[in-house]
Amino acid sequence: MSIPMTGRISLEQAKSLVELLESGQQDEADAVFAEIQSPINSELFAEIGKLTRQLHDSLTNFQVDSKLNDLAKADIPDAKERLNYVITRTEEAANKTMDAVEAIFPVVDTIAEQVEAVNPSWTKLMNNDLDLKEFKSLCLDIDTLLKNTGKETRHIHDLMTDVLMAQDFQDLTGQVIRKVIDLVIEVEESLINMLTAFGLSEESTEEKILPRVGENLVEGPIVNTEKRDDVVEDQDDVDDLLSSLGF
Amino acid sequence: MNVSPEGALDKNMKVLVVDDFSTMRRIVKNLLRDLGFTNIQEADDGSTALPMLQGGDFDFVVTDWNMPGMQGIDLLKAIRADASLSHIPVLLITAEAKKEQIVMAAQAGVNGYIVKPFTAGTLKTKLDKIFERLA
Repeated sequence: MSIPMTGRISLEQAKSLVELLESGQQDEADAVFAEIQSPINSELFAEIGKLTRQLHDSLTNFQVDSKLNDLAKADIPDAKERLNYVITRTEEAANKTMDAVEAIFPVVDTIAEQVEAVNPSWTKLMNNDLDLKEFKSLCLDIDTLLKNTGKETRHIHDLMTDVLMAQDFQDLTGQVIRKVIDLVIEVEESLINMLTAFGLSEESTEEKILPRVGENLVEGPIVNTEKRDDVVEDQDDVDDLLSSLGF
Repeated sequence: MNVSPEGALDKNMKVLVVDDFSTMRRIVKNLLRDLGFTNIQEADDGSTALPMLQGGDFDFVVTDWNMPGMQGIDLLKAIRADASLSHIPVLLITAEAKKEQIVMAAQAGVNGYIVKPFTAGTLKTKLDKIFERLA
């Protein structure tokens, strides 16, 4: 039924109204009458109908797609656990290593002290400047030194092996982190699909997305300093920056 | 403050090491011990460090920046704002590496800024410099 260009009702509409009423088609006549009263642009109506159907279809698709549900309910909590595992294992490894190192320090220091202690007498001996009594005393000292050093170097060797073994965390944490990276990729794909389905993703190739920062610009360790121009790369850069400002 | 007349730092000085990761506190403590410091205490956040400082004659603070309760930069500002604490030298050891942040810390009155990862040598150099300047 065409919409009148001028006036509120067209001859065509009036004729059709009469025809419908004469033939007893009350509902159809009411529909024509309603349209006369408030004409709806049929094109717009069709468009709204299409969008509504699209939205309904998309929503239905998401409901049947269990992938998103799985991500939210199982995979992401799993990822959190995995990352906590990484923190725990690396902390353990660090502490085991430091335990060994802290045990080694005094052993090495003791050996150094004992060597220092016999040095003066030894030097005198090398200069043919040692009397017999001093020589006998020196022999006893060196005998003790040799026995101690032998024992302590075996001890150090064992501790160094402990340090080596403590590095086993890297293999385990590496595997776990790989799994989390896989998960992140899945989430990324799902999000992009969702954005595209709702026509929300825009190509913004110019815009540089900067990482999230907290209060006072905190960001944690920067993993890609080569790509950033707002960060320093090492201690020398820090020192240069500060001295250039007079600090 | 325990600085001897020649300006050389007094290794008996009371040091507070602040970092939310216990492994980092342990590393810094070990390095300081290696340099001769024997009187070292620890705190796991700016918010636990401040009362410790207010409670008792510390001579030096080594702190991280990024901590959940009170950040290192805010601890520094609180130290400088408190008349009884403002004289204490503060060394930041942190992974935060933005130029803006470094300037922020300098302007807030930090005595030294070390970025992680760092070496034992760097720590020694910075400590010497800090106490030289204060002499």
